[in-house]
Amino acid sequence: MFDFDATLPLVAIQFLLLVVVLNAVFFKPLSKVLSDRQDYVSSNNTEARERQDKAKRLAQDYSEKLSSSRRQSQTIITDAQTAAQKQSSAQVAEAQRKLQEQATSIQLELEQQKQAAFSALEKEVDTLSQQLLKKLLGPELAR
Amino acid sequence: MHFGSLLLNSFELQHLLPSAKLEVGHHLYWQLGGLHLHGQVFITSWIVIGLLLIASFAATRNVQRIPSGIQNLMEYALEFVRDLTKNQIGEKEYRPWVPFVGTLFLFIFVANWSGALVPWKLLRLPEGELAAPTNDINTTVALALLVSLAYFYAGFKKKGLGYFAKYVQPTPVLLPIAILEDFTKPLSLSFRLFGNILADELVVGVLVLLVPLFVPLPVMLLGLFTSAIQALVFATLAAAYIHEALEGHGEEGEAH
Repeated sequence: MFDFDATLPLVAIQFLLLVVVLNAVFFKPLSKVLSDRQDYVSSNNTEARERQDKAKRLAQDYSEKLSSSRRQSQTIITDAQTAAQKQSSAQVAEAQRKLQEQATSIQLELEQQKQAAFSALEKEVDTLSQQLLKKLLGPELAR
Repeated sequence: MHFGSLLLNSFELQHLLPSAKLEVGHHLYWQLGGLHLHGQVFITSWIVIGLLLIASFAATRNVQRIPSGIQNLMEYALEFVRDLTKNQIGEKEYRPWVPFVGTLFLFIFVANWSGALVPWKLLRLPEGELAAPTNDINTTVALALLVSLAYFYAGFKKKGLGYFAKYVQPTPVLLPIAILEDFTKPLSLSFRLFGNILADELVVGVLVLLVPLFVPLPVMLLGLFTSAIQALVFATLAAAYIHEALEGHGEEGEAH
């Protein structure tokens, strides 16, 4: 069981050769593959992270722009609304004033016509009553 | 130490269950210019190395940004050993040690599981038997000595000769223990792995010998578990020792 002979050094040399050969055909190429993949993954990862940051920044930018334009539109709407309000109230006031004027002028005219009608009527009443009187009392008495 | 064969002879079952033969200490000897080699260790370790290389080539042949199939599996393995090394050695200095610790883990893991999963017995050898490379003491001692060399190299490279200061750092009284540690580390590393894997294969072998069906299955599952744990422990301890050499004296990375 314990017979040492030339097997020992030859196995040792053989093993060292195996180390050299495996280093050339196994350890080096596959380590390179692994480190390359590591580099690839990490570079992709940083790239993706950068892109994500960029996208986030863009989204924030856009949302800021959106909210500012929304605010702008709000102010425009309120401005327009107040302007329209003002205009409409001015127009309403103008119309009311005109209406008032017309109403007063019409009333005045009405009053004048009433006056005229009354005076005409009074004259008629006078003549009628004169005639009545003449008829009743006779023409000579009436004078 | 012909433990297994001894056991067999006592049961006299060899003729009955030829697939449940147990052999420890029998080796397929190869001659290489006067050197004795354990052939079965090399055969299985070549298969293990071949598996690792095929998996690596298949994983890196056509790399995708989104991994799938074998590339995913091998990336998982790489991340596992990288995290293991990082946890032990620390964020700052772990990088150059990933191939060493990672190869330790992968080789031991695949070797252990090959011993547990591949039915080596179906391949007959003229002598000895195929098994996990890690159940031969030569392999585990070789790996443990490499770990020792690695942490000495790490220490000297970081601090030069100042590395020796750690032997007398808190107090020179501990000098013998500090020196002893350099011997016990590879010893415990190698024997832990060797003992666990060999014992696992022996237990499975003995159980298969006694009850060939179903009963060995839980033990085999346990064997898979211990095999994985031993690979993890070996690699973790190697990284911990390297960390210790880089840091100077300090925490003890002892596990079981």
